Amino acid sequence: MTWDYFVPFSIAALHFWGFGAFAAWRGRKPYIVGGLTLIGLAIFFSFIVGMWISLERPPMRTMGETRLWYSFFLPLAGLITYSRWRYKWILSFSFILSLVFICINIFKPEIHNKTLMPALQSPWFTPHVIVYMFAYAMLGAATVMAIYLLWFKKKPIDSREMDLCDNLTYVGLAFMTLGMLSGAIWAKEAWGHYWSWDPKETWAAATWFSYLIYIHFRLGKPMLYRKALILLLISFVLLQMCWYGINYLPSAQGVSIHTYNLN
Amino acid sequence: MWIRPWGFKEGCLIGAGLLVTGWLLQITIGEIDWSLFACPVNIIVLVLYIAGIVAMHCLRKRVYFFSWISHYTSAVSSLLWVAGITVVMGLIRQVPSGHPADVLGFSRMLSAWPFILLYIWMVTVLGLTTLRAGFPFRWKKLAFLLNHAGLFIALITATLGNADMQRLKMTTRIDNAEWRAMDEYGKLIELPLAIELKDFTIDEYPPKLMLIDNETGRTLPEKAPEHLLLEEGVTEGQLSDWLVTIRQTIPWAASVATEDTVKFTEFHSMGATYAVYLQAINQKTKTAKEGWVSCGSFIFPYKALRLDSLTSLIMPEREPQRFASTVKVYTEDGKQVEDTIAVNHPLNVAGWNIYQLSYDDTKGRWSDISVFELVRDPWLPAVYAGIIMMVLGAICLFVNAQKRKEEDAE
Repeated sequence: MTWDYFVPFSIAALHFWGFGAFAAWRGRKPYIVGGLTLIGLAIFFSFIVGMWISLERPPMRTMGETRLWYSFFLPLAGLITYSRWRYKWILSFSFILSLVFICINIFKPEIHNKTLMPALQSPWFTPHVIVYMFAYAMLGAATVMAIYLLWFKKKPIDSREMDLCDNLTYVGLAFMTLGMLSGAIWAKEAWGHYWSWDPKETWAAATWFSYLIYIHFRLGKPMLYRKALILLLISFVLLQMCWYGINYLPSAQGVSIHTYNLN
Repeated sequence: MWIRPWGFKEGCLIGAGLLVTGWLLQITIGEIDWSLFACPVNIIVLVLYIAGIVAMHCLRKRVYFFSWISHYTSAVSSLLWVAGITVVMGLIRQVPSGHPADVLGFSRMLSAWPFILLYIWMVTVLGLTTLRAGFPFRWKKLAFLLNHAGLFIALITATLGNADMQRLKMTTRIDNAEWRAMDEYGKLIELPLAIELKDFTIDEYPPKLMLIDNETGRTLPEKAPEHLLLEEGVTEGQLSDWLVTIRQTIPWAASVATEDTVKFTEFHSMGATYAVYLQAINQKTKTAKEGWVSCGSFIFPYKALRLDSLTSLIMPEREPQRFASTVKVYTEDGKQVEDTIAVNHPLNVAGWNIYQLSYDDTKGRWSDISVFELVRDPWLPAVYAGIIMMVLGAICLFVNAQKRKEEDAE
């Protein structure tokens, strides 16, 4: 498997995700929606597995490879949310987000290198990245929801919609915490210390605190919807800094030991 | 303002007060010297701090501030300040100790008073919240307690324990035992253990071929360089317009200068390099070039193949796949441990973690020295206890995402 096969695999997967989202939108039976989305997930995942085998390492090192996981987890997160809360439109959201990341991978692929430096060869590598990507997918979905509620929804915001934002954030934050802590334990194994305030870690801490502000604010002032949603957006901006922003941030140039994708 | 109950405004003002206080302290007495907190000072500080928090908890009915501090408005405002100053830290390039920091201390945030005071505020909020929710103990508060107490324990023990952590650098040479290591200030310290380096190896990935621009030396195509990984069985490949065919491969090679050119022969000894003889044909212009390409070693120079006036074919240095040192460690009580230390695979002996740090990079895989980092952190179990509580708390958070509403409503 090589990146040359990415286009057919992703287009096939996107079709199934699109049909699934459409079926959900039209209120079709949940097993049809779930089945279509699952077939799409299986197609996309088989590409990931194929890459994993041919690269002889988990495809998680470069930005392009992490986007692969992100595109995979978005529909999965959407499906989980759908099966639990039956929001008709959630799969359309996750479909569009996934489409965006697949398009970035098609039109702006980044260095896809087969080698994996010794610091990344650890049993912690896979869970650390997967858990983080899942968290990002959940929080990304919460962000799209927040944008919809803030600027696109004509009617007043419903408390059930805020519950959805809360649930997505709780699940995302739980996974983000697991990602951060697994990273700390791995850092102890690899670098000798569990937390070194490397730029990536500093921004991870800021992001984490920011989401904590959201959930504490929601508990205290559950009726101030708009302020809470804006907190959600700010948190997601911080998350972007942590995820890839530090690759371009002047204060982090040459000091972060987390930048693996820049040669 | 300052009318009870206090809200976000009061909280934000308290944060601003801490920031200004921090700046004044920073300007008058200078940044915090964390090494002053070495044992037993950190134990004393810890006991006093916990006693202080318990006292605040007990007096919360008498002093309004103590009861407010575990209120959510206090939590949100302390988090706002902490997140804010952490963002500032992320935006300002941090200087290592030994270099001068700016007046306000923001370029060495971890020693800056404003940062520390704001974090202490947040940790105090955490501590008081834990006490309020934890006594009397109720099972349905378990997730809440795991999250809050876990973070409280991890932050406090990691911060106070930092001064007791030793990180030393030890350089070992093959077949020699070493028991001295250097701390971060360059002071030589004798250790209760000795490390004998038996062997040091670097496994490397197969070499790559790439195109570079003759003028700039940049890899091509610019921004998205292509490469051809010479794995076993690979005999040809495409790099931009050039079709590359490998004619001969010598994994252990030496370069020999002939009258007008350089060629490579088999060489099974220290300093051997990887060389391939190849042919490159441009698909568009049909021009063909052939010759040797090698990445060189600390003995032999690298060899590029000039394809045309614009481009050359090169073999960059091979990327390391694994560094490993075979060692024998002797401890004071007469124990001997033989093991392999590699990146991501430290060795734990007598309370010390030994990490593979570096080697003689001028010699690459022929290095006869290996550099280890030795780390001792007596507070680690306490920090890990906090981390494990947070892991369990996060799992509960995920499982209870739905039920949460009723629980935390109070």
